Amino acid sequence: MSLTDLPLLGMLRTRMHWHQARQALLAENVANADMAGFRPRDLAEPSAASTGLAAPVGASVGGDGLARTDSAHIGMPASAGPNADPRRFKGFEVRPSGNGVNLEEEMMKAGDNQADYQLVASLYQKSLDALKIAVGKR
Amino acid sequence: MDFLKSLGIAASGLKAQSGRMRIIAENIANADSTAQTPGGDPYRRKIPTFASRFDRELNASVIEAGRVRRDPTPFRTKHDPGNPAADARGEVRMPNVNGLIENMDMREAQRSYEANLNMVTATRRMISRTLEILKA
Repeated sequence: MSLTDLPLLGMLRTRMHWHQARQALLAENVANADMAGFRPRDLAEPSAASTGLAAPVGASVGGDGLARTDSAHIGMPASAGPNADPRRFKGFEVRPSGNGVNLEEEMMKAGDNQADYQLVASLYQKSLDALKIAVGKR
Repeated sequence: MDFLKSLGIAASGLKAQSGRMRIIAENIANADSTAQTPGGDPYRRKIPTFASRFDRELNASVIEAGRVRRDPTPFRTKHDPGNPAADARGEVRMPNVNGLIENMDMREAQRSYEANLNMVTATRRMISRTLEILKA
């Protein structure tokens, strides 16, 4: 088994790819901010299933992405939870030229994307550090 | 790598906006350019346009400055009989450039340029964070 087959590293790598692809889409939105008829695009959030995490048998996955294995677990509704993004307007502002890009919104998204990417990169680095400790290099 | 794609797209945006800035500067500089001959047409305002193009190398749609179009609105006229460009009635036709509109257009171009620059900075920071994994 190679190092990169570890589920944790694999998941982090998938997430980093996702952030890279999203950055490209956001760059496209910003570049086309003055193009007539252009509508901004964004990437859908990756679901837990696509990142290799399967929900336990008999559990239901709530809107917060967490599995509920017991009826006493308190879940969150999909839209109104504290992690719901109020900035994610759909077609919030469309100019007379048909352009729907809102530069402020795109900047917020780019900032979020950058911060999340750095978090994932740090986690990746920490995981590698943990492996180094395991092989006695530290 | 997707980051290079982001940088390429943002760079195309920067280039398109600076091209737009150049045309706005041309309009403002020629705001008082009258014709050389009596009754002739003065400078006609230019309108910058954008065109989207699919870049096969980047595998993404980039933006570039499109064909420059001319503003068809009528010219302003000014009564100035002493001007060499004046017609028989002493009217001089002035360019259809409106300083206020050009100024607002310039601000918009500047804002878009800064937004693109911001994307470049953010992407570069992400790249350097990736490389830091190797350093540790």
